[in-house]
Amino acid sequence: MTPTLSISFRPALLVVAVMLAGTPSFAQVDLTGIWRNFNHEDWMERGGGSDPVDYLGIPLNDDGRARALSYNYSLLAQPEHQCGLNTPFYGFLDPFGNNIWTEFDPVTGRIIAYKIGAWLDKDIVTIWMDGRQHPSKDSFHSYAGFTTGEWQGDTLTTYTTHMKDGFLRRNAVSSSDQATMTMHITRHGDLLTMTALVEDPVYLAEPYVLSHSWRLDPTLNMPAVPTPCEPIAELPRMDKPGVVPHYLPGQNPFVNELTQMYNLPLVAVLGGPETRYPEFRQKLKDYVPPPICVRYCCGPNADGLNCIVDGSGKRQP
Amino acid sequence: MKRYLTGLALVTTVMTPGAATRAYAHHSFAATYLETQNVTVEGELVEFLFRNPHSFVQLKVTEKDGTMVRYAVEWGGIGQLGQQGVTRDTFKPGDHLVISGAPGRNPEDHRVRMVSLLRPRDGFSWGHRPNEKVD
Repeated sequence: MTPTLSISFRPALLVVAVMLAGTPSFAQVDLTGIWRNFNHEDWMERGGGSDPVDYLGIPLNDDGRARALSYNYSLLAQPEHQCGLNTPFYGFLDPFGNNIWTEFDPVTGRIIAYKIGAWLDKDIVTIWMDGRQHPSKDSFHSYAGFTTGEWQGDTLTTYTTHMKDGFLRRNAVSSSDQATMTMHITRHGDLLTMTALVEDPVYLAEPYVLSHSWRLDPTLNMPAVPTPCEPIAELPRMDKPGVVPHYLPGQNPFVNELTQMYNLPLVAVLGGPETRYPEFRQKLKDYVPPPICVRYCCGPNADGLNCIVDGSGKRQP
Repeated sequence: MKRYLTGLALVTTVMTPGAATRAYAHHSFAATYLETQNVTVEGELVEFLFRNPHSFVQLKVTEKDGTMVRYAVEWGGIGQLGQQGVTRDTFKPGDHLVISGAPGRNPEDHRVRMVSLLRPRDGFSWGHRPNEKVD
């Protein structure tokens, strides 16, 4: 006997078929929601922030290194800089979560853009999904830049141009306004992983890659927009006209802070392409650890944990 | 009014291997302040700038040589301080305050990152409870 579908089952099958056929062309994976940061991941960078001259692992060229060494952090106290926003890459450096939502075409219902929220001092990133082209190279550069995206399987791949210059590390290692960023956004259950690849013909000798993960958390209070910021007279010396904090070439007073703290050679902390690769460790084969650990010894949320107390890098009982 | 611990010899160096992680915003505190050191400044409040991303306490301090210097003490943002009971009206110009914290990396900035605050007049204090840290 030939099997047949019963009459009552056919409408249900039709509904399922329509649902399956309609969904994938809009979005392979739902990326929307509030995603909590893991502050134990890169916690020294995302927590207190990098030490002043720690460029290890960043493929800086000579110009990028010179710019970083000339940067005096008091510059951020100038009224014109206090309320500037960070570029999209800063989301890999700060301790905050992500709020992601969509914008729909009111007629077709298609997703025309993903939005990545901006708290506290990042610009809102709009990922255009409607196939539009990037603007001309002479167009305005904003903090967020201009981003397009397309699904590659279950991964959303984005491409950002037209950013202003921004930080690649929170110690003023910078990208230029010619930098571009490719980002791969992948969801695994309640985990969201983003991998960024920054290319910069001005300050980088090779692409700089960084990844980070967040966990879905609808209970997290994560505003979608930057907090209001009011420029003030933050530092009294900035009241004087013509004050632009900086370090002249060869005069950065913190060049050897890390070398002394960790017994590292200067060539390591000044970064560059070769410091990205495992082979660089061969250059440190005569490395002698410092006798005592003075910073970052216990890890994040370290209450009750055993801490590193010497240069061995191992936790002590 | 008196400023304590002005010279290097008077600066209290505090190693902080056990410091728990904190979330910072706006800029790197490690790049802005000498976080393994601690200074105490004492003087009269000029202005309390209650704002985001970080608030500032502007303090008029008399140096050892008698000169008057305005210090900028960086504190938490509106959200964080608001949850801890600090409001725009908590302080009035002229309040006498004693503040301890990490000194700025550029001495000419006369800048401090808030670790603790005391107002002797009424005993108001901040920085002694577990959640009272600058985020």
